[in-house]
Amino acid sequence: MLYRQTLGLAVLISFTLPLATTSPIGAEEAGYCPLEGAEYYTVELVTTKNIPGTGLATGRADLSVPASSPFSVAISPDGSYEYLVRVSLERMKLPTEGRLVAWVTTRELDRIERLGPLDQNLTASGKVKWNKFLVVITLEADNNPEQSMWAGPIVFRGMSRSGMMHTMVGHGALQQENCAAYGYAN
Amino acid sequence: MPPPPTPIMRVARYCLTVVTAAVLASPLHAQSEMPGMGMSGGWRMVPMDPNMIMLPGLTGVVPVVGAFLPAAGINPANFPEAEPSQVVEMIDGDTLDIEVSIVRRILNGHEMVMFGYNRQYPGPLIRAPKDATLVVRVRNEIELPTTIHWHGVRLDNEFDGVPGVTQEAIQRGESFVYEVHVPDAGMFWYHPHAREDVQQDLGLFGNLLVTSPNPSYYGPAHREEILVLDDILMDEQGVLPWGESAPTHALMGRFGNVMMVNGETNHQLSAKQGEVVRFFLTNVANSRTFNVTFGGAQVKLIASDVGRFEREAWVESVVIAPAERYVVDVRFEEPGTTLIANSIQAINHFRGEFYPHVDTLSIVTVSTETAAPGISDSFYSLRVHDEIAAELEPYRPHFNREPDYELEATVRVQDLPTPIVLAMEADTLFFPPMEWNDAMPVMNWLSTGDQVTWILKDRDTGAENNDIDWNFKVGDLVKIRIFNSPDSFHPMNHPIHIHGQRFLVTSMDGAENQNLSWKDTAIVPVGSSMDLLVEMSNPGEWMLHCHIAEHLHAGMMFSFTVQEQ
Repeated sequence: MLYRQTLGLAVLISFTLPLATTSPIGAEEAGYCPLEGAEYYTVELVTTKNIPGTGLATGRADLSVPASSPFSVAISPDGSYEYLVRVSLERMKLPTEGRLVAWVTTRELDRIERLGPLDQNLTASGKVKWNKFLVVITLEADNNPEQSMWAGPIVFRGMSRSGMMHTMVGHGALQQENCAAYGYAN
Repeated sequence: MPPPPTPIMRVARYCLTVVTAAVLASPLHAQSEMPGMGMSGGWRMVPMDPNMIMLPGLTGVVPVVGAFLPAAGINPANFPEAEPSQVVEMIDGDTLDIEVSIVRRILNGHEMVMFGYNRQYPGPLIRAPKDATLVVRVRNEIELPTTIHWHGVRLDNEFDGVPGVTQEAIQRGESFVYEVHVPDAGMFWYHPHAREDVQQDLGLFGNLLVTSPNPSYYGPAHREEILVLDDILMDEQGVLPWGESAPTHALMGRFGNVMMVNGETNHQLSAKQGEVVRFFLTNVANSRTFNVTFGGAQVKLIASDVGRFEREAWVESVVIAPAERYVVDVRFEEPGTTLIANSIQAINHFRGEFYPHVDTLSIVTVSTETAAPGISDSFYSLRVHDEIAAELEPYRPHFNREPDYELEATVRVQDLPTPIVLAMEADTLFFPPMEWNDAMPVMNWLSTGDQVTWILKDRDTGAENNDIDWNFKVGDLVKIRIFNSPDSFHPMNHPIHIHGQRFLVTSMDGAENQNLSWKDTAIVPVGSSMDLLVEMSNPGEWMLHCHIAEHLHAGMMFSFTVQEQ
């Protein structure tokens, strides 16, 4: 009886309190964490509800500038921003089978980087050197560092804030313009 | 001031944008027909990247201020041809005469009227030993009142060159004598502090290299090169006019479309294989921040504005904002051609895209001849300057304390053309941390200093710009936090410059800076908070301002006082 009460309490807590706790950004490298204006450096991760137990789950990816940059911003040689990415999920448990793995990819999916598996706190950290990108959490059969592309189902996905900068051609102030002239289908 | 719009009002405005666009939209213009076309008031249409299109409703619109070109209507042949910069070696007590005058230049195939210090581009490179006091007699022969500001130099206040604060502007035909005491080693520069958007853009800038008595202040290098980075806005007729009574390009600053190094559009260097070249970089552009790459060569960062870093560091590129300086050692390993370039991800707002963009700044031809002596061992070791760490020790207890003052950077606009307001208010979901290119050339051009007010607000008192009243005493260590608010009409990065003092960037967004150097200018990206520890060492009335020339003239400045103990 006591066992069942304890189990019930644990289940209740698991659905009312976030299981993931915060941890320092990037164990290997400290990053800037905007004190204000943080919404510009946050990617909301939206559940696909593909996996049982993720219907109410939420997630986010916090971007920060690596503190190792001697300049006020961290820029790659091609001019792309460099960010530390810290992924965190809440209101869900680790799956009993397989591993949750975090990825970043360009919108065209032509380049994919594996951030790594989520830990017991449902967090993962890594770096990204793109200006516009997607953050993807998938459920993989195992933790294979050599994996270059996800094979399992997508559990969460989100787009960098810069994704909100989209073409004005064909709508808004440029509603009358010919989309095809700019490489977009009508 | 009207109340901020509610979400419903914003939606209504957006809908109005669509309706307005439907009314105003015209067929897509062939962009090749736009630049250079005649317009009212002496204006010419601002050149645009052919990938960009003009917002409907702005065809034929010109800035609300008159157009200005120097010596307009006078044949350039009447003016002397400018010459490349010359080195002027000075010691304590020496005097240099500088004449500010009109010169003739050929840039990008166009004969143009520009300004020059002693008819040179850039102005004379002054080399002087640390702790010297130099006398510089400046005579103004151009039509605009001018001054010389000795950027980064902790000199006596009366020689800081700020009109209306430390001196009256030097009118045409008048002179002013500056006594320039140089207490710090490093690369500094000088430029006008009156209508910089015009005068600096037309060539009034020069470097002041202050040498240390310590022969090993920097590590070994085969030679030194100066790279003064600049850009200028031109079309097929030559340089684009500036605003006469107020700057144009007040929103983003005036980005040029022609890159220059040391005033040249085709800068070239030669080097030997294995040669270590020490580059002193200065960004004198009105608004552009450069991301400087050196091909495949290895780059060692060793110093910034007012001295060396605690530790030398390898970098893949140098991010240098307007008015900043960096010193790097570069080793050219492979024979052949190496490009020094500005490598950025530009923005096309209309396509909603970033795109890679590279401008060649200089071409380095590396020969097969081996550089002597071989100094690769010293180059490949990173020096740690314990003496700098020791010098900074008394300041470290202040790094983590709460700021004494907090400034918020924001902007207010009034009377901008309606299509600009509508388009920009509808495009506020994302702002890049840095603007690397002019992504909205026409809208930017049409915004003048009469319509845009860039603001530094004291968050404690609410005072803005020149109403800010800060008073300090010599010896004070003042912690200032500058927050670049993303919640405004058009947030943008700001290179903040403090006159007459030096400061440390102790942290960015709460993360402590692990490798410090004394600075006088540092850039604050959009959405970021930068903490500065300012050493108030120099009495007088000093400026704090954004060094984007158009932002400065659109109000983003104030002065503070430092009194003797």
